[in-house]
Amino acid sequence: SAVPGLQADCEELLGAFQQADTVRFERFAELWRERRFHTIFYGRIRALERNKLTKKTLELAQQYFLPPYTFQIRVGALYLLYGLYSTQLCQPKQKIRIALKDWPEIQRFQQDLIDSQHYDAAYIFRTLRLARAFHFTAMPKLLNYRTKKKIQENEFKEEFKDPSNRVNTLITNDVLEELMNIHDHYQKMKCVISADKSQPDKALSLIKDDFVVTLKDITLEHQEWQQNRMKLFQNAKETDEKSNKKEEGTMLESEGSERANALARIKYRSYSAVVEASKSRRHRQVKLESSESGTSCGKSPSRSKKNSRRPQPARRRDSLQ
Amino acid sequence: QESHAVGKRPHNPTDLVEEGDLLLTLNIFYPVIFQKHKDHKPYQTVLVLGSQKLTELRDSISCVSDLQIGGEFSSQPDQAPEHISKDLYKSAFFYFEGIFYNDKRYPECRDLSRTIIEWSESHDRGYGNLQSVKMEDYTFNDLSLKIGFPYVFCHQGNCEHIIIITDIRLVHHDDCLDRNLYPLLVKKHWLCTRKCFVCKMYTARWVTNKDSLAPEDPCFFCDVCFRMLHYDAEGNKLGEFLAYPYVDPGIFN
Repeated sequence: SAVPGLQADCEELLGAFQQADTVRFERFAELWRERRFHTIFYGRIRALERNKLTKKTLELAQQYFLPPYTFQIRVGALYLLYGLYSTQLCQPKQKIRIALKDWPEIQRFQQDLIDSQHYDAAYIFRTLRLARAFHFTAMPKLLNYRTKKKIQENEFKEEFKDPSNRVNTLITNDVLEELMNIHDHYQKMKCVISADKSQPDKALSLIKDDFVVTLKDITLEHQEWQQNRMKLFQNAKETDEKSNKKEEGTMLESEGSERANALARIKYRSYSAVVEASKSRRHRQVKLESSESGTSCGKSPSRSKKNSRRPQPARRRDSLQ
Repeated sequence: QESHAVGKRPHNPTDLVEEGDLLLTLNIFYPVIFQKHKDHKPYQTVLVLGSQKLTELRDSISCVSDLQIGGEFSSQPDQAPEHISKDLYKSAFFYFEGIFYNDKRYPECRDLSRTIIEWSESHDRGYGNLQSVKMEDYTFNDLSLKIGFPYVFCHQGNCEHIIIITDIRLVHHDDCLDRNLYPLLVKKHWLCTRKCFVCKMYTARWVTNKDSLAPEDPCFFCDVCFRMLHYDAEGNKLGEFLAYPYVDPGIFN
């Protein structure tokens, strides 16, 4: 269970440090103080929660300290860990976990710092070690075996949500622009190698010339359709809840399910007419089973054969008797 | 996990935990007693040193099944036997990575794992070579272990506890450094105690079956209510019933 906003905050700070294009601690300290970053630990008053929060914060920051992050980010992470470790409110202090497998890499990193004369970073690291800020562990993450009692699902109002438009996320404006460019370029190439330089040879006409425009129109259409649908949905919500929703229901259903509805209607019409068995067979009246009812599920095969959904014409069984 | 023993130092310097010793965090799950615990099994968390013997952990595990008193005592309630199950049935084993570590310190100890090993060897069941060794000969440092993998502690013949190791690390300056306090219990699940049906105040110590004087079967009583209801002033048994000493799982709270 992640701490909300924690990753965003840390990445923002590290991003700003990266922007500053330096590995000097005093620059990092400025950025830290600007943001009053130490207040990240405020808000959890009870000791148990404070411990959990601090552990998670250190765990998150520690990840940026290791490869594959860039040198600058790693130095930033070192400073961040130092800041978090020092300003945490837990007593005794929560430690930074270093896994066995990561230790050689960290030692190399420290040597790099010294060799490149980044003495402030090296000093920060040494300070942490002298402060006994590390737990040397077998595995990087502490295992937590508490099963979540409640999976917290944030239920946002449908209206607040941006309708997820997969078509638009795939065919973005950038993609369309790129396609347009490529298409133009392609057309130009065709002209260059054709006899008539002003237009491509007929033999080279392998794709639809207006395909990018058509694609754009289709995505726009889709977007409009979706927006209309959302409006209908909202209108339906606003009208009286108690009124018969059948009509609105059909409006709201997507076009895909219109076909399903049509099929359902046909089925209903054909199966609602049950042929009445002749008098001699009145004990064998055909029972109408609805496919919607749940009762037909789980019946033994022999029974379901008897109560067949298909209306059976009165069969001549006399010969068998 | 907050520990009351954080930072503790021993009086005797020979009891000081050595630098470089390992600290293992184990979750020992209770066997399923109540259905309500099926999905979220209660457990206790124990810290143990790498240099400690497995038997030290075994002795520290408190389980209600160790305290069971076998037998029906409606006719002689004052004579519940002196010995609890822990004293009678001393056998136990740990199972780690294909090896059964059996407690063999006492002559009464039996190899509980033998049945399992024989079963595994009787056909090709794909369990490889299971071995049986003595628990008292091994420390945690001697073991190969997986973090997060479920292992087993079995005692009383069929009382099984899952054990999961959640962390292994070097011991730290801020840890409790008094050897005598290890294995160290840092977390425990609190179980609701079953109260006497009559007074609803005291923890139940007796359970009756087929009790003509009780409204339900089984029915739980504290010692006082049990005697008041089922025996007269002279100590004669009243009515028909079977009575067994009851040990509540919450006794370790």
